[in-house]
Amino acid sequence: MLTKRIQPMIFQARRLYVEVMFQVMGRALQAVSEVDKTVNKEAAALPDGFLFEMMVMPDGARLIVEHTGLGRFKYHGDSAPRPVDLSIQFKHIAHAFLVLSFQEKTSVAFANDRMLVDGDISYAVRMTRVLNRLESFILPKLIAERAVKEYPADLGLPEKLISAARIYLKVATNFVETVRAS
Amino acid sequence: MTNKYYEFFCPVKVIAGKSALEHIPYELTGLAAKRPMIVTDKGVRAAGLLDPVIAACEESGLEIVSIYDDVPPDSSTSVVRDIAGVYRQEKCDSIIAVGGGSAIDTGKAVNILVSEGGNDLSKYTGAGVLKHPLKPFFVVPTTAGTGSEVTAVAVITDESKGVKLPFSSSFLLPNAAIIDPRMTLTLPAHITAATAMDAMTHATEAFTCMAKNPLSDAYATAAIKKISQSLLQVMDNPKDAEGRLELAQASTMAGIAFSNSMVGLVHALGHATGAICHLPHGLCMSLYLPYVLEFNLEDIREPLGELLLYLEGPEVYANTPASRRAEASISAIRKLRDQLYRHCKLPRTLKETGKVDEAQLDQIAEMALDDGSIMFNPKEVTLDDAKAVLRRAWA
Repeated sequence: MLTKRIQPMIFQARRLYVEVMFQVMGRALQAVSEVDKTVNKEAAALPDGFLFEMMVMPDGARLIVEHTGLGRFKYHGDSAPRPVDLSIQFKHIAHAFLVLSFQEKTSVAFANDRMLVDGDISYAVRMTRVLNRLESFILPKLIAERAVKEYPADLGLPEKLISAARIYLKVATNFVETVRAS
Repeated sequence: MTNKYYEFFCPVKVIAGKSALEHIPYELTGLAAKRPMIVTDKGVRAAGLLDPVIAACEESGLEIVSIYDDVPPDSSTSVVRDIAGVYRQEKCDSIIAVGGGSAIDTGKAVNILVSEGGNDLSKYTGAGVLKHPLKPFFVVPTTAGTGSEVTAVAVITDESKGVKLPFSSSFLLPNAAIIDPRMTLTLPAHITAATAMDAMTHATEAFTCMAKNPLSDAYATAAIKKISQSLLQVMDNPKDAEGRLELAQASTMAGIAFSNSMVGLVHALGHATGAICHLPHGLCMSLYLPYVLEFNLEDIREPLGELLLYLEGPEVYANTPASRRAEASISAIRKLRDQLYRHCKLPRTLKETGKVDEAQLDQIAEMALDDGSIMFNPKEVTLDDAKAVLRRAWA
């Protein structure tokens, strides 16, 4: 009985968590493309105007970023200005929660068929590398190791801390700007 | 609670063994198909491999309404459109693809157009676009390696845009795969070796990569055992129908395994090498397999060690300390490759192919890094890692 009462709240909390994580990740993708040379180089190989979406099926939370050129991403929130070029879709919000709460690595989620790729697979592989790099920066090493296939051996603590601080500052600034604009 | 999860799907009816072709008329009738079209290539026809298929159907009063025998090695959207036009004109109601990977992929793509309507194949590219079952579709493989008869994917080149269009849907799977030893009896030695090593790689990667699961494991190990036991016998005696059937079955089993657990770095490097240097896929698989296993070793020590039982048999497995079995498995694969080199000069290094320039290695590494298969490799692969594996495979 108690479980039945609590369950809707758990579902709502899970949905809220996924929505917030998508907002953070979208802004962090924009920030990391400005901060990290490796991500910038990865992004530069994408066509200008390339729209990337990550979403929960069938019509749940989503994040959309655009490659605006020169390896820079721009976060568009949850609405795309035109049809997206690449969409990574979680089959269920429970699967998105597993990945975004770092209980399941992104690569394992792909292997477990939790996600679908709609678009060019090679771009999906590239975006997965970018997401892994981002997670390695912004998460404590112990948690990052649960999120990525292999924590980058060449990522030293000073670089990680400085980059993470810059990324979080940019994310916070973007959040404030969004609130002010609305 | 366990974190393990997997999916496994293979609805293809496998019809295998002596006089398997003679089951085609009955199976087609069971699907209410009376006007089949054969899709094949000139090589298959010239080798006389269509004759037993046609004879098996005619003997049962089933007329093959049309035969398209001009599928190129790298099939294109215009070829698919042409075949679909013939299919419609002749009022066919089913497709029998006879051949290797290209003929089978073409058959799958033709089935999309004739079932869904229209002539624009690009509308159906991607995963899960198809929502309805397609027309009755049978596959008769004439090589023992690709496993395309049990995979839910097809790749067709769009020559106007210069891109390869991938199609992925469970509806692409054929209704039946007919495995008849007559179809592979005349395969030349080097193709027999390369395609068998393709199947060996499918099974090995299926068993050692990230999406491995208990059901695909069962198919993978059985396939490896069959190839290990039969390949050299067939190389010694190409007319060994029993051995040919074992290899053909192994190929199908490996196909079922990898289509349900995916592949890894060997395929990523192989796809890139095929695209840049135009080397046959099976050859690339054979070439890269041991080097990639060495690269992945510490992440796959346990499953790779298990494979020794299927590669070398129970005696060698029992006599090898558990801690050395993974290395022994790699040695077994190297030994098999050496024997194939002695038989038919199947290259073991990039240099031995004579078709790869050392300067191309960096380009291959970069392309491999963006290949979808790399996602399922058990170990993360950086550009430097890929280059290192390629350098080891060079000579």
